[in-house]
Amino acid sequence: MMITLQIHRFVDDKKWIQEYKLETQKGMTILEGFNEIKAKQDATLSFTSSCRSSICGACAVRVNGNAELACEILLEDLVKRYKTDTLTVQPLGNFRVIRDLIVDWIPKYEKMKKIDPVVRPKAEFTPAKGCKQSIEDFAKYKKYAGCILCGSCVSECNKSALDEKDFLDPFIFVKAAKITEDSRDRSPEDHLRAVVQAGLWKCFNCQECTAKCPKDLDPAGAIEKLKAASIALTGDGSVGANHAKAIYNDIYTKGMLDESKLAVQSEGMLSAAMRVPVAYRLMKTGKLNMFEKIPENKDIHEIRQIIDIAEKENK
Amino acid sequence: MSKEISRRTFIKGGVAVGAALAAGTYFKWEGKNIPLDVREGNVTYDVLIIGSGGAGMRAALEASKEKGLRVAVMTKMVPTRSASTMAQGGMNGCTGVTDAEDTIESHVFDTVKGADYLCDQDAVEYFAEMAGKTIYEMDYMGYPYNRQEDGSFHQRKMGGSSHARAAYYEDSSGHAMVHALFEQCLANNVEFISECQLLEIVAKEGKFSGVVAIDMRSGNLISIPAKSIIVATGGYGRAYWIRTTNPYSSTGDGIAAAMRIGIPFKDPEMVQFHPTGLASNGVLLSESSRSEGAYLLNKNNERFMQRYAPKQMELATRDIVARAIETEINEGRGIGEGLHAAVYLDFRHIPKKILLERLGQVYDLSKRFEGVDIAKQPVPIRCSCHYSMGGLEVSDYKTTATRIPGVFAAGECSCISIHGANRLGANSLSEVLVFGRTAGIGAADYAKKNPSYQGNKDDLAESRTKWLEKFAETTQRTSGPSVTEIRDKMAETMWYKAGVYRDEKQLQEAAGEIDKLMAQYQNCVVGDASHTYNTAFMNYIEVGNLLEISKAIIIGATARKESRGGHSRKDYPKRDDKNFLKHTLVFKDGNTYKTEYQDVVITKYPPQERKY
Amino acid sequence: MKYAFFPGCVLKGAAAEAYTSMMKVSEVLGIELVEIPNWTCCGASHAQGVDDLAALTVNARNISIAEHMGLPIMTVCNTCTLQLRQAKARLDEDAALRGKVNEILKKAGHPYEYQGTSEITHFLWILDDHPEVFNGKIKQKLTGLKVASFYGCHLLRPPKVMNHEDGRNPRSMEKLLQILGAEPVDFSYRLKCCGFHAFFTAEHDVLKVTGEIVDAAAEAGAKIIVTPCPLCQMQLDMYEEEGRKATLSQAELPVLHLQQLIGFALGFTNKDMGIERHVSGQYKVNF
Repeated sequence: MMITLQIHRFVDDKKWIQEYKLETQKGMTILEGFNEIKAKQDATLSFTSSCRSSICGACAVRVNGNAELACEILLEDLVKRYKTDTLTVQPLGNFRVIRDLIVDWIPKYEKMKKIDPVVRPKAEFTPAKGCKQSIEDFAKYKKYAGCILCGSCVSECNKSALDEKDFLDPFIFVKAAKITEDSRDRSPEDHLRAVVQAGLWKCFNCQECTAKCPKDLDPAGAIEKLKAASIALTGDGSVGANHAKAIYNDIYTKGMLDESKLAVQSEGMLSAAMRVPVAYRLMKTGKLNMFEKIPENKDIHEIRQIIDIAEKENK
Repeated sequence: MSKEISRRTFIKGGVAVGAALAAGTYFKWEGKNIPLDVREGNVTYDVLIIGSGGAGMRAALEASKEKGLRVAVMTKMVPTRSASTMAQGGMNGCTGVTDAEDTIESHVFDTVKGADYLCDQDAVEYFAEMAGKTIYEMDYMGYPYNRQEDGSFHQRKMGGSSHARAAYYEDSSGHAMVHALFEQCLANNVEFISECQLLEIVAKEGKFSGVVAIDMRSGNLISIPAKSIIVATGGYGRAYWIRTTNPYSSTGDGIAAAMRIGIPFKDPEMVQFHPTGLASNGVLLSESSRSEGAYLLNKNNERFMQRYAPKQMELATRDIVARAIETEINEGRGIGEGLHAAVYLDFRHIPKKILLERLGQVYDLSKRFEGVDIAKQPVPIRCSCHYSMGGLEVSDYKTTATRIPGVFAAGECSCISIHGANRLGANSLSEVLVFGRTAGIGAADYAKKNPSYQGNKDDLAESRTKWLEKFAETTQRTSGPSVTEIRDKMAETMWYKAGVYRDEKQLQEAAGEIDKLMAQYQNCVVGDASHTYNTAFMNYIEVGNLLEISKAIIIGATARKESRGGHSRKDYPKRDDKNFLKHTLVFKDGNTYKTEYQDVVITKYPPQERKY
Repeated sequence: MKYAFFPGCVLKGAAAEAYTSMMKVSEVLGIELVEIPNWTCCGASHAQGVDDLAALTVNARNISIAEHMGLPIMTVCNTCTLQLRQAKARLDEDAALRGKVNEILKKAGHPYEYQGTSEITHFLWILDDHPEVFNGKIKQKLTGLKVASFYGCHLLRPPKVMNHEDGRNPRSMEKLLQILGAEPVDFSYRLKCCGFHAFFTAEHDVLKVTGEIVDAAAEAGAKIIVTPCPLCQMQLDMYEEEGRKATLSQAELPVLHLQQLIGFALGFTNKDMGIERHVSGQYKVNF
């Protein structure tokens, strides 16, 4: 099968899209395609790769706008998915590009330091005797230890695309979840506070990170775990936590969302008061009714019982 | 201060060249992969570590404990991309938590026997003593060990081990190690000099001065003075290019560079062919496949290991299993033809739950690259060059010092020798951790004992100039053989003539072919003239290193007229302890190679027949 | 075709027009909807971040009621769909978890167990699977109407749970538009996030992307934005003005619920579809 790769090139200050035609075989990965092009057509095409077996994380790129681990994704599968034999290749999104498909990882490591990315073992453990951990406790975080730092999760992160300065890459949230769920750590609260400080609640919940993770780690799920842990362990009083608690409490009180009260419950009276102009605009068309009373769900007692019992389960 | 001058301008303008060189830099720096004072040439490191894999990072953590010492890790990629991430099975260490009968003695003996008696037993005793401690230490550092009922890390039995002593994380034990170490490095603010390709270790007449490297991002040549250096650049499986489990980065850069300053390459011929690499691309299928019970079958559905290692069967040592597979294929009982011949690895009798829990990566790799669901079908596999037992000679295993003062070596690039003629599964992760730590202490102690810089910065400057010119010359060439052509021919020569089975005639041919390729290399085309992240130039350097390493492998294989461990001579099929119970030392002096021998250190275990 | 209907909170509040138009449209298309009695909020992805087990069990309850009705569930909000499908996926896969959740339901006095017998599907998916419901029903082909489809994250991702089509290259909206006679317009924000769920925590960013989405759709030539999610609709419609300010854009486009656009093709009017409740671009909708 003959395919065309349109690769976004960037060398020194020149940017251009270069087209390469490639004869592919069954089972050929796009990384093999890059290697083929570099060896036989254009030695200047530059990309990073190492293990070629999806464990070192060096080769992630963007194909048709979506992050892929180049050593894993088969060209024939890409052709099938996008129903085209012309594929556009770019470097990962939400990274600074150094050259061609090579991106800058150094700032990401600096960001990672913000969450204190290491297990701080409990006082009862020592380097000489190691630690003890139950099989159940190991299961709680073992998945997150599979992160290969490939960067696919942040490539299409909708929040990072708008502003990454007050947020963390999803792989950093995964690292944080790994540590806070690790029973050996003596103070998950410290890690959680650092994560909230670094922007945990700004996540859009767009699920791009989970959709793109080649190791199925579910970073979006890790973020939810961090949120719940932050509320449970640190009495998180941030706007995001209050917003989540408001919705949760609405289910407890009425069984349904009470939109009119959401702003106040999330942000407090003062900040919510700033929203009056918008609120007025919404009330004009009938979108928002400040005086609407949300009726209580007929089964509210049962619903409250469910929540009470479930909460006790976690203790 | 740096000035921007295009390379062509500076090559043509002689005076400008001098000025630019004196200033030290001439292309705009790109980002923060290199510390500021390294760019400015204002730092002399106490300990400079080359390589950010298991050994390199472990050494850095240890050396960094000495407040007041300037320590850094230099890597040609960014951290966490090393071959260490690919190790799957686990790390051996005697602790007794799973198998209360295990002893350090037993670990020593298993290693010695596994090495086919070519390892240095005093070093192995030290290694085995430290290995168990290392597991506990890594637990404390946050390594995500699989656990057992009593809350301890669980240990499993790997090939060639008489007891269950390999602690692990699922089937990605190396990956977990790299990330646990990297977390520690971040938390301890270990300095990294990233995306810098080592070009030369400068040590004129045995006086170590530092290194010269190229900052990939800008193309600037940098020289870094250091009081001590730990070479931790890993193995050299890419000499066989496609037929290796190793990543593209395993090109023996540190070994080649250290050979050039007079450190011998010890036992270069000792290369381990891992029996189970995927037929299509050489990717490793972990030995834990076999420790979890998978069978090896030939085309007649026979569990052929019965004929080669009746007691241990599939869990005999790697060299024995690899030879068994090659023999089956050579004698026509494999599936497929020629380069694509293979045998089967059969998991069908293992419960799917276990496959997904403990062999998730194996399951995934088979599905993706061979299109096989191992719960339903056997997967085709064949040998791949997997590990380099050979490496830089370490003169003192208690510090990892080499014979050049100030130069240390640890990890796969070193040869202490722990693994002798064949490495046991799960001994490598333990080795890199034990000797990474030892190197960190050794180099730090050396730096403390030699507080004033003994090197020569003029030597560094001279070397840098030489490389500057080389870069310009090679990247500007437009006609000649390509780097990849030379590389592919080298790989063919090595696989067919210096591979699993060797003989005199083929080795001589191989030597001639490599010499020819080395000559071609002098005129080859890099194909990219840019100074910005020139990966074609990096590949050029790597292939140059691999050619030198290939030459050494062939020299060692020719000199060793016996079969031992991973080295199999068709013309000398037996082990010859009388004449060859010794290490091969290959020296490079300018363009000449010389071979010496070194006695193996035997403490408790004189060689016996090696049967499994 | 009969479904247990899960409207979700906003259809009873700010997005009431989505509810009324859905009722009218489903009747014409012959899709019978029986609202799940005493359904609760799905958690909106936020309750899940407070107590995962409580939120899961609350949704197990919702689903079990529909199971008792013997009907599959139809949703009209992306987030509801994701929360319910995620709950179902987890409960179906993990017998121990399912047991635990059913224990809680029992203790709380809920009469039904979660059994896993009801599928959860979105209105758009139903139409994609059964385009024949439109046969003979289209009274006013939307010929010449250029429409940009904004899918909304939670209908597309994550791929294991939201697997009706490939979230990286979905086509259900475009196919539907063609059935209605409209002209689908591709634009660069088609699969992006409106930011609704981060409105309180990342307001600046959310308003910026709100503006970018509308602007991109207008740039691509669309006259209307349509979305299968009332949360996206609310975000883009209610804050279109702030979005313009944040991006210095002039674009003003009406943002329609999927069922409203379908309603127009079926012959309904602005009034029928509740357009007067919209905040932005009302005057540009003329049916």
